[in-house]
Amino acid sequence: MSKISSILMMASVFFFALPAFAQGGEAASGGGLVVAAACLAMAIASGLCGLGQARATGSAAEALARNPAARPGIQFALILGLALIESLALYTLVIIFAKVK
Amino acid sequence: MPEQLWITEILNHWFAGPVTSLLYSLGIHPTYPQAPITNAFAVELLVFLLLVVVFLLVRSSLSVDKPGALQHIFEGAHGFVEHQTHEVIGHGGERYAPFLMALGLFILVNNLIGLIPGFEAPTASPVVPLGCAVVAWVYYQAQGFRHAGPKYLLHFFGPVWWLGWLMLPIELISHLARMMSLTIRLYANMFAGDMVTLVFFSLVPVGVPILFLVLHIGVSFLQTYIFVLLTTVYLAGAVAEEH
Repeated sequence: MSKISSILMMASVFFFALPAFAQGGEAASGGGLVVAAACLAMAIASGLCGLGQARATGSAAEALARNPAARPGIQFALILGLALIESLALYTLVIIFAKVK
Repeated sequence: MPEQLWITEILNHWFAGPVTSLLYSLGIHPTYPQAPITNAFAVELLVFLLLVVVFLLVRSSLSVDKPGALQHIFEGAHGFVEHQTHEVIGHGGERYAPFLMALGLFILVNNLIGLIPGFEAPTASPVVPLGCAVVAWVYYQAQGFRHAGPKYLLHFFGPVWWLGWLMLPIELISHLARMMSLTIRLYANMFAGDMVTLVFFSLVPVGVPILFLVLHIGVSFLQTYIFVLLTTVYLAGAVAEEH
């Protein structure tokens, strides 16, 4: 019960920021939403990219521990996989730079 | 007048007139007619001239009995690229190693020159990685045609003929997307590195940005390696032979 109440207390802090949208009211409500969406999108992309890379690195470390003689092949697959996963998060960053003024 | 690096200023001072008239004759209108050469183009040109000078130096000092330091470095780099082609493409791979090494060295020096004050990395502007990606794409398509003739087009229909109607649009889009992914990967890594360094520089001007410059070195090498490796993989897909 105290865990739920602490989570709800943390979530309620986010609502304190809502009045900031009311200040730049005339033209900025659309602009504020674009910025908020951009931040949320980048956060989700980076978080999921982190999860994916963690799985890749964990599998590579485990495979290396089981079979140290296969290091070149495992290292190759690890570096290639990490760079490809990273590039997915970077696509989000590029869209943000293209769309957010 | 835009913000110019010192080399861009020198080049624009001497060549702005002829370059602007050349662009106008091609129908292109530069934003600043008195400074048509951009920073990225000026540094790229410098890197190209630097690489040509280094290659000439290596070429002129090659020797079998007493190899010098430069020869060792380039033999090591060439051996690395050739080893990659053997692993990925198979036994016919050495003929693509010179192109991959030239592409790799160009991208690497372009990335690293951003560290020196007074220069900015050309790969941090979106057109330079696009150029490298288009060159790599045209090269591997051309090698596919050279290797298999017109039968290279059968690659786009997939492994079995009765799925060809489905595979053709998928393969076309995936081939075109390779250009986009190569470009965006290199551009975003370099540009984001610059952005992050600037952000931390505005927060803590002393000491902390050095960490990001070191990160930039690591990311430069890694991204160059990934670009060359992916081009090798695309080449392997284009010139592969089913046994």
